[in-house]
Amino acid sequence: MEQDNDNYLRLPDLGEVDEVTIVEWLKGEGEGFSTGDDLVEVETEKTTFIVDAPSDGRMVRITRKEGEKARVGDPLAELTS
Amino acid sequence: MKHVIHLALGRTDYARAYALQHELHRMRCQGEIGDVVITVEHDPVFTIGRSGSRSNIRVSEAERERVGIPVYEIERGGDITYHGPGQIVCYPIIDLRDYGRDIKRYIASLEQAMIGLCADYGVEATRRAGYPGVWVGMRKIASIGVSVRHWVTLHGLAFNVDVNKEHFAMINPCGLPIEMISLAELTPDDMPMERVIEGLLGHMRQLFDWDILERDVNEYWRRIDG
Repeated sequence: MEQDNDNYLRLPDLGEVDEVTIVEWLKGEGEGFSTGDDLVEVETEKTTFIVDAPSDGRMVRITRKEGEKARVGDPLAELTS
Repeated sequence: MKHVIHLALGRTDYARAYALQHELHRMRCQGEIGDVVITVEHDPVFTIGRSGSRSNIRVSEAERERVGIPVYEIERGGDITYHGPGQIVCYPIIDLRDYGRDIKRYIASLEQAMIGLCADYGVEATRRAGYPGVWVGMRKIASIGVSVRHWVTLHGLAFNVDVNKEHFAMINPCGLPIEMISLAELTPDDMPMERVIEGLLGHMRQLFDWDILERDVNEYWRRIDG
């Protein structure tokens, strides 16, 4: 299931960064969002980064919780568009 | 070469500079302006990043209030730090999509600019793996804390030229029991802030391939002040 690119919000390529920590989800499960809306804040190397919505949609299920680690390309949440 | 506007704020209250940063970030995100770099010397202040907490303030609330240092909880990465007179704070507000979309490289470049600045004064400074910032031996001379939204940066670096160590001693900087150090403790050279800022910007110019244009900050303050 997690191979389906279309239905997952994935951690974008942030360069040579190894991994990030999920700081805070800015949209909850069931909430709708528009392109460019802030979805989740992550932190690495003393830097916070806001992952924004690639398209309009709705948050179905958060798969990487606050405090957990993620690497580039990892699915963070399941979305519908 | 990228055109970058430099705004020299001089001594400025933290909250006022914070409001300006956010207005410039909004304008940069909307394409109303190009890249900007702010330099500023703050009135004494503690700021706490997203992974920090007030437990790293080592004095009581009453003592902190007696000394008169406010605390702001802000969106940058990292834990608590101190800003005050004698410290260069630099906030590049730049679109990292034009710099290779690489957060690690951006942080490394900020560190490298400050390592080069130390070398200009004959001081050997280094990075420490896992501890972003710039170090002279086991003592820290500069801190990093950044926030990136829509790939545009906020916040940046703080370099100790000649800071009040008693203020720093009121916290665990970055959440660690570390000792901070200033450039003035390491070199007998006379170092007016303007010259050190010029030196820092010279290294950033090289590392980021900038063409820096000086601008009067008053036209930007008017946006904040209405």
